Amino acid sequence: MSLRLDELRKHYGATRAVDGVTLVLAARETLALLGPSGCGKSTLLRLVAGLEPPDNGRIVLDGDDITALPPQRRRFGMVFQDYALFPHLNVERNVAFGLVELRWSKDDARARVAELLDLVGLSGLERRRVQQLSGGQQQRVALARALAPRPEVLLLDEPLSNLDQSLREALKEELRGLLARLPVRAIYVTHDQSEAFAVAGRVAIMRDGRIAQVGTREEVLEHPRSAWSARFLGHRNLFEAAALNAVPDAPAGGDDPVLLRADMVTLLPPDAPLADGDRASVADARVLRARRDGLRWQLELDVPTWSLELAWEGFARELQEAPREGAALRVLVPHSAWSRLEEA
Amino acid sequence: MRVSWVSTAFGVAASAFLATFFLLPLGVILARSVGDGSALAEVASNPFYWQRLGFTTGEALLSTALTVALGLPGALLFARFAFPGKRLWTAAFTIPFVMPTVVAGIGFLALFGPRGLTGLDLRGTLALVLLAHVFYNYAIVVRMVGGFLEGAAPRLLDAASTLGAGALRGTLRVSLPLALPALLAASTLVFLFCFTSFGVILILAPSPQLATLEVEIYQLTAHLLELGPAAVLVVVQLVVMGGVTLIYTRMQARMAVALPVRAETLPRARGGGRWLLGFNLAVATALILAPLLALAVQALQGANGAFPSLDNLVGAARPSGVLGFATLGTALRNSLAFAGTSTVLALVVGFAFAYAVARGRWHVLDQLSLLPLATSPVTLGFGYLLAFPWLVSHPWGIPIAHALIAFPFVTRALLPALRGLDPDLGAAAATLGAGPGRVLRRVELPQLGPALLTATSFAFAVSMGEFGATLLLVRPRYATLPIAIFNRLGRPGPQHYGAALALALVLMLVTGAVMVLLQRRGRTEF
Repeated sequence: MSLRLDELRKHYGATRAVDGVTLVLAARETLALLGPSGCGKSTLLRLVAGLEPPDNGRIVLDGDDITALPPQRRRFGMVFQDYALFPHLNVERNVAFGLVELRWSKDDARARVAELLDLVGLSGLERRRVQQLSGGQQQRVALARALAPRPEVLLLDEPLSNLDQSLREALKEELRGLLARLPVRAIYVTHDQSEAFAVAGRVAIMRDGRIAQVGTREEVLEHPRSAWSARFLGHRNLFEAAALNAVPDAPAGGDDPVLLRADMVTLLPPDAPLADGDRASVADARVLRARRDGLRWQLELDVPTWSLELAWEGFARELQEAPREGAALRVLVPHSAWSRLEEA
Repeated sequence: MRVSWVSTAFGVAASAFLATFFLLPLGVILARSVGDGSALAEVASNPFYWQRLGFTTGEALLSTALTVALGLPGALLFARFAFPGKRLWTAAFTIPFVMPTVVAGIGFLALFGPRGLTGLDLRGTLALVLLAHVFYNYAIVVRMVGGFLEGAAPRLLDAASTLGAGALRGTLRVSLPLALPALLAASTLVFLFCFTSFGVILILAPSPQLATLEVEIYQLTAHLLELGPAAVLVVVQLVVMGGVTLIYTRMQARMAVALPVRAETLPRARGGGRWLLGFNLAVATALILAPLLALAVQALQGANGAFPSLDNLVGAARPSGVLGFATLGTALRNSLAFAGTSTVLALVVGFAFAYAVARGRWHVLDQLSLLPLATSPVTLGFGYLLAFPWLVSHPWGIPIAHALIAFPFVTRALLPALRGLDPDLGAAAATLGAGPGRVLRRVELPQLGPALLTATSFAFAVSMGEFGATLLLVRPRYATLPIAIFNRLGRPGPQHYGAALALALVLMLVTGAVMVLLQRRGRTEF
């Protein structure tokens, strides 16, 4: 019971939009395709949906090669970025669109539509014209419409990108709950990592038409494979191995970049005991720059004994006092905060 | 927003022009049709007139159905797919729409006339009239429906396909219902044009059985001098057209709210879609190019069959000895002079309307400026005959009539551009010391360049090709190209036919050249 993408390729002129993508999606699993805009993730989704033919490669669903199957015969539900609701139909008939194609009886279709509108919290709006709905409501209709025919796979293309911040947060939670509850496998395309990690159990990072890394939330977040992935995920402490000779626990030698996970670094008062134990090292540090970003602080620290500058981010309560530039403190860096990456 | 005195002045001037040269003549016709009631009674009791109304309606419905049948597949395919040279095709499709009626008429004579290239003589048949009407209106359906769907249909069809509806089901369940208001709007427009068909009928089917109301009004006025019945027929025609125009504006309002437009790149056609598209383009191209090419070929054919030959052009340029026949030089000079004058007039009036609507509170003028479009040229000429008899032999008669027919196009071309102007720019200029007049001159007019060019080309083309009103108002001295062509077609003899072809070729080339030179990618708001 799986959906397998096998070496999919799609070129537009000289642009390699999708450049040899292989992925496997297990039953009931939600996979996020995460990448910057223009990385080919939406194109990949259109290949999976059958809206574009791939130049090469195969799409295999539960053992059947469906590469040549047109979209209308794949039974893959899709939620489009701008929803693509039919403006000439009301909410109920939008949701029932796919059921009509499947020749469902009127009564069955009505019951299924009611069930889905209940699921997405839009009961009572059956007769509403879709233009009269808010952005969030339109998004829910689009989801209900895609789910109604019980699709083999649900494809979501940046479903929250047209909504404002607070609505996006709320709907993100709702989507997470729905996708976890429903017996459907889903591919969720987004450029927003908080969305990807909130909604999906596994995340594939895409770069220039290729899959840069794929793994569970924890694997991807904690062990990015490349410096590019690490930077894309927001890691700021990336070093060349050669620059870390003075650091006791850092992986030494080799040409591969080294990552220091700032979320594992603890700040200590300047009089905390210096130690160099089995599990962690403590060193003197000085605040180079301190900047407030909402509730969080972003600090740049100089650690002279290790001849290292590192970035730290956290809440004010993790600091002994409001940080000022030049202030002295100490950093506790566990050994496990360091990891060697596989490529640049 | 504060309303400036400039827009008020324009509104007053525009209203005055419309009242004098449009509403007054119509009022005179109306008064004449009521009269002592005898004309009304005469028309109502005469089955011939009822027949003409029936034929005109039937002919217009049939033409509309045929145009839709041919244009709708084209529109759906155009809205769905990208293909090489699409911009060029789209431009080519508008050629018939701006070509003078007389040119189209002669084009079809050159194909299917007594001396036509195909050898098949269809002159005087309804089939030929219908063919010419389809030629004329095909672009309206393709552009209005196709343009309407292009912004939204591809995405919605994608969505439909993921829900199980393939190309055919998607077209039936998504494209067609979406396109319905645009299709109805286009159909009503096509119906209006065919309902008042005049030049095409006079040239291709000059028989009493195929006369439209418009032709009948002309015959009654110009040849039988039965002005009472003519006035009644005008009113009947106006009532029908008014009703249809009402439907059109309704549909247009519905088109305005419906679709979320997003610019996007369309996919290339694949498989069956490719064959359909190719077939459609081939048919459309044949329909559009064949008559124009036939005209050009025949015009350049010598008396002894030599090709190319300038015999016909020389013949048309020489004084013919027939009373009232204008030479090529005279007709061309008249046409250019009238077109130049009426273009300037139409630009002034059309701009006054557009400015008053867009910048002032003259919203009623928006609807009023459409009225001349919903009135036939013969009606206008007839109204001038009744209301301003002195204008008939006056050199200003024809330019004023042409300007009145052309200015709605100018207004429609300028309105979207004016509405699109950022009002903050005017405000910024005002804070920098520019009064309303200076704002108009230094800020607004310079930004309207492309729209003004489009408007100019439309106005010029309308005047160059105008036939119905001119025919009623013209005196031999002022014969324009269309009139000179028509006069020659009315005479037997190959030399007259040849001269008509040559004149039509010149008219076609001049109109085409002006459209190509001035037409920029401004959009017209119909």
